Amino acid sequence: MRTYALYFVSRLAQFVLVVFIGINVAYLITHLTPIDPVEQAISSVTMFGQSSPEMVEVMRKALRELYGLEGSAPQQYVTFWKRLATGDFGPSLSAFPTPVSTLIWQALPWTVGLLVCSTLIAWMVGNFLGGLAGYYRRNILLKALGIVAMSLQPIPYYIVAFILLIVFGFLWPVLPISGGAEMNIDRQGFAFAASIIQHSILPALSLVLVGMGAWFIGMRSLVSNIVTEDYVTYAELGGVDRRRILFSYVMRNALSPQVTGLALSLGAIFNGAIITEVVFGYPGLGTLLVRAVNAGDYSLVLGITSVSIIAVAAAILVIDIIYPLLDPRVVQG
Amino acid sequence: MTGANGSKKVMLAVEHLRAYYVMRYFGTQREVRAVDDISLEVGRNEIYGLAGESSSGKTTFVKTIAAAIRPPLTVVGGSIRYSFLDRDIYRLDRAALSSIRWRHLSYIPQGSMNVLNPVRRVRESFNDFALPHMGLPKQQFSNAVIAHLERLQLKPSVLDAYPHELSGGMRQRVAIALATVCRPDFIIADEPTTALDVVVQKSVLELIREAQREIGSSMIFVTHDMAVHANISDRLGIMYAGRLVEEAPTAEVFRNPKHPYTQHLIASLPRIGDNSPRTALTGAPPSMADPPSGCRFHPRCPLAMDICRELAPEMIAADPHHRVACHAVNPVVRPGGEQMFAKNLGQRSGLVQ
Repeated sequence: MRTYALYFVSRLAQFVLVVFIGINVAYLITHLTPIDPVEQAISSVTMFGQSSPEMVEVMRKALRELYGLEGSAPQQYVTFWKRLATGDFGPSLSAFPTPVSTLIWQALPWTVGLLVCSTLIAWMVGNFLGGLAGYYRRNILLKALGIVAMSLQPIPYYIVAFILLIVFGFLWPVLPISGGAEMNIDRQGFAFAASIIQHSILPALSLVLVGMGAWFIGMRSLVSNIVTEDYVTYAELGGVDRRRILFSYVMRNALSPQVTGLALSLGAIFNGAIITEVVFGYPGLGTLLVRAVNAGDYSLVLGITSVSIIAVAAAILVIDIIYPLLDPRVVQG
Repeated sequence: MTGANGSKKVMLAVEHLRAYYVMRYFGTQREVRAVDDISLEVGRNEIYGLAGESSSGKTTFVKTIAAAIRPPLTVVGGSIRYSFLDRDIYRLDRAALSSIRWRHLSYIPQGSMNVLNPVRRVRESFNDFALPHMGLPKQQFSNAVIAHLERLQLKPSVLDAYPHELSGGMRQRVAIALATVCRPDFIIADEPTTALDVVVQKSVLELIREAQREIGSSMIFVTHDMAVHANISDRLGIMYAGRLVEEAPTAEVFRNPKHPYTQHLIASLPRIGDNSPRTALTGAPPSMADPPSGCRFHPRCPLAMDICRELAPEMIAADPHHRVACHAVNPVVRPGGEQMFAKNLGQRSGLVQ
């Protein structure tokens, strides 16, 4: 138990370090961009008519203060961390004065809901079928599935998304092709939930199909290595129950690297499906990020990036913490 | 058959067993004759040692008699009869086969330190392997396992360990305990001590002997290490290129080897006080995909005669309890009625003190 506590603390420290470095890099990059949001805002105001230079100067000063740009670079940096400690990323520059955190909070549930569900479904189905395919190598059905998975896997998910869009949006229009839910509908209750699910089918399907193929192929090759391990052949020889061999001996040992993969793809969901969201007009973080980049709204970009960094690091932390339960050899390493 | 232990009960009788690796590449069939026409008997309470150089078919043979083969390895002919079975082991269906495992027939495979599932505690491995075969309630079973471990001088605390927490020697001992916990009638041990240093090897050998004596089971023990055979085996069979070439009580093999291959094998062993250089056999063991005609040893044999190239020698009792497959030892009656003997039997005695 002591080794586990030590392991836990060291992983936690790693998490903090990774988040700190990551956010610093994101801060540096966004603040080094040549786009000055203050000048952009002023030019958009002055576009429609002349303003006196004094007024522009007042405006510039006020905006600098609002955006947290007053003071020297080190002072700005300290202000940034002080704000961040309270969960405040400052106001969005393109949707001024809505705070960045509000925008993120609005988009976050959509992205998390869509991507966590589709990633988990792809992971579970892909690994289960891949495990079966690796273990029962002679099964015709599983062989055919392997060929399908192999041909789906290299196709980029946005191509699959477009194909789905064409098939189910135009050729056989049965599913909604845009948005997160029906507009003008009571945001509570069963009808709303059903509408969300209906709208998520196509974007989720495009992610599941492709993701599943990758998990399927990975798991199948892991399993076909593991079935030749001494402990598996020995268990087969020992008359150990076949289902027990499949799950506790073969799949269980193949699962460890797949769980790591799951953690990484769960963490990456915040930037992994930007194109899917744009294609299907899904109101998630991906759409928000694309809009922020186009508008030069660097506090929003920084906010989304920071959330993404924290999420990736947290996902890895969680997996690291539960990993010893899957593979007891890890703690010693 | 020329059984060496006529008085004792025969636990295993293998007759003319042939097991080949049959592979098909683009329509052409290739065979590797890894086990070719082997007959032997193992008596009750006996440890039968199987020796021979690497790739002589030892492991293939024991896998075959354990019914632990998978394609491309296939049994081409012969029979394998255990005294606890009413029919050939390959006539059993899957369920029947799995029900005799561990209870009657258990197997300590090569590299037995890797046979434990790395993500399961030792206790769970015992449950997986032995619980269904013992037919005991869980509590009683757990007591039986602990009693068995204690008899083999293993601490019951190993049950709570994961395999990686145990040393190699310890894992091997646990594997032996796992293979013997159901008190099987017949144990097949394939190089169980090969990866260990001599000190650990000695104690593992004692453990195997202990387990075998205590249960009263029979055993086939495979290793290429003649010193280990000298320690543990009651009788010894020597394999060469997929065939049994000689079989006798262990002391007899060491004292009076008859087959030229065995003679070289014994002569190559170091002896205290003997500093004369060891002569090595020239050549390499033959490929079993394309074995030499007749006696498979003839290309390397100093006594090779014409007949050796033509006719594979049969295992014949040269002395009671001592079978040899060699034309130079056993005279051959040719169809013409003419008898052939070794050209010079005295030549061989120079090989062995």
